[in-house]
Amino acid sequence: MSSSEHLASVMVEEFIRAVEQGVDLVPVVADSTSTAKIKPFVEKFPDRLVNVGIAEQVMIGTAAGLALGGKVAVTCNAAPFLISRGNEQVKVDICYNNTNVKCFGLNAGASYGPLASTHHSIDDISVMRGFGNIEIYAPGTPEQCRQIIRYALEKIGPVYIRLDGKALPESMPENYRFLPGAINVLAEGKQVVLVAMGSTLHEIVDAAARLKEEGISVGVIGVASIRPCDTSALARELAKYKSVITVEEHNVNGGLGSLVAEVMAENGLAARLQRLGFKDGEYAIAADRTSMRKHHGLDSESICSDVRQLLNRKVEATA
Amino acid sequence: MNPYNLSTADLKKKANDVRKRIIVLNSESPAGGHTGADLSQVEMVTSLYFRVLDCAPDRLEDQERDIYIQSKGHAVGGLYCVLAEAGYFPTEWLPSYQHADSKLPGHPVRQKTPGVELNTGALGHGLPVAVGLAIAAKRSGSKRKIYVLTGDGELTEGSNWEAALVAAHYGLDNLIIINDKNKLQLAGYTKDIMNTDPLAEKWKAFGMQVTECEGNDVEAVVSTLENLKQEGKPNVIISNTTKGAGVSFIAGRPEWHHRVPKGDEVTHALEELSNV
Repeated sequence: MSSSEHLASVMVEEFIRAVEQGVDLVPVVADSTSTAKIKPFVEKFPDRLVNVGIAEQVMIGTAAGLALGGKVAVTCNAAPFLISRGNEQVKVDICYNNTNVKCFGLNAGASYGPLASTHHSIDDISVMRGFGNIEIYAPGTPEQCRQIIRYALEKIGPVYIRLDGKALPESMPENYRFLPGAINVLAEGKQVVLVAMGSTLHEIVDAAARLKEEGISVGVIGVASIRPCDTSALARELAKYKSVITVEEHNVNGGLGSLVAEVMAENGLAARLQRLGFKDGEYAIAADRTSMRKHHGLDSESICSDVRQLLNRKVEATA
Repeated sequence: MNPYNLSTADLKKKANDVRKRIIVLNSESPAGGHTGADLSQVEMVTSLYFRVLDCAPDRLEDQERDIYIQSKGHAVGGLYCVLAEAGYFPTEWLPSYQHADSKLPGHPVRQKTPGVELNTGALGHGLPVAVGLAIAAKRSGSKRKIYVLTGDGELTEGSNWEAALVAAHYGLDNLIIINDKNKLQLAGYTKDIMNTDPLAEKWKAFGMQVTECEGNDVEAVVSTLENLKQEGKPNVIISNTTKGAGVSFIAGRPEWHHRVPKGDEVTHALEELSNV
């Protein structure tokens, strides 16, 4: 396994690469230069960045205007403020006007941990899925992130990319090639399949490895491409199992769990579905990631317990 | 270059033609219309499209063309009448205003209507996008100008003032913010609902160069538009207008915010306009 990388750093490397290759890219930030880790870009291209101050509405409107003026505009700020404060600007200026803006939702999910719920973005996928035309990606690894950004900067039209805020390891195979819509089947198993988007991919990969040691073989699917999504491929894969568990650092309503539920229902799949995420009535607790995921049952050990229960096996005491 | 470059005398005639079209357009709408708001902006929008804007119907892909953004999107009926007169689409389309799946919906939709530059309707969106266009033009070395027309009631949307800070900070003297100050909004008089005065002082405090003009007077409008200075500050034009200007029984009446003329009202309005 290669060393871990911050997805924001991958993002900035790709911005630099794009400009060096002639893309007229303009990042727009809302005082979020440190959030975006964008200093290396500014040092290389001192006259490109637009910083509008702490003002998300005009950050998004300005990006839309830059796009209409021929630029490839990218917004880079904390996902909760992009999604919530600038909601109508995302809807009208980017989606409805179909402008060539790429929105990077940084430190998404509960990446900000102890900073509490104002700083958590656990509704971004459901909000973006409500706007019909914006493409939505939630990369789970650095290489996946890199390839998604390369695709997004070439694609004409609105794109939302949800970036986790912690350094993440690589878990895609060496020959991994991103395709919009494609799902990533990382392991085949029996009876139970685990499905994740973004950073929780690592929890299900870890859970699958632990279960393998116990002789339990589970399927592992990453869904980084939320829209478009090859729902036929997803349905074909899910049809192989009796139980499906989705894991996301997101509200269970409107995110990955909902997407999978829709695919199962629309394809007449009879498997049992368990959606792990933040449930009705819950906000993510203000805590470090390990504690938070344990509390909400999103960590690999909790997922293992869920699988054992599903398989009617004796639940082993945790060490 | 503006392909028409009309004299002020011809602009007055054109403005009157536009007013007549606004009356008919709204009377034929199946879904109401914003007649009062359409009428207050007539001299400004007519002067822009028939004299000031460096834009033409065959230049809609030209990145050097001037851009006009109708931020007060509810007055799109007024814009449609100007665009049709200026040849951006056939005048035969006008009777389809707000009809099912029309090319002329009740708020601007750029994917539907040639000449519409931005989808608006929710207020407070035009100025932030205009700021982005103005920054893009500066960075690309383009001489194009970006004009954005807001209402005065619209100015209570906070996004305008976020954008004002950015416009001044980046020295966007290629940006012209026009406030169609017709002093009325949906629920009544702007000064009673949420007073924005003293408006010029507010813009000046934000770092703008401010000019006030009589917005229903063609000479005043043209003189203001043609004497703007590009000296490092964004320009603001406070265009003092009358909502419903040009028709006696519509002018200055709050109930005409979202009302359309019917029956005898159409006849009377057109008679008044024929006597101008």
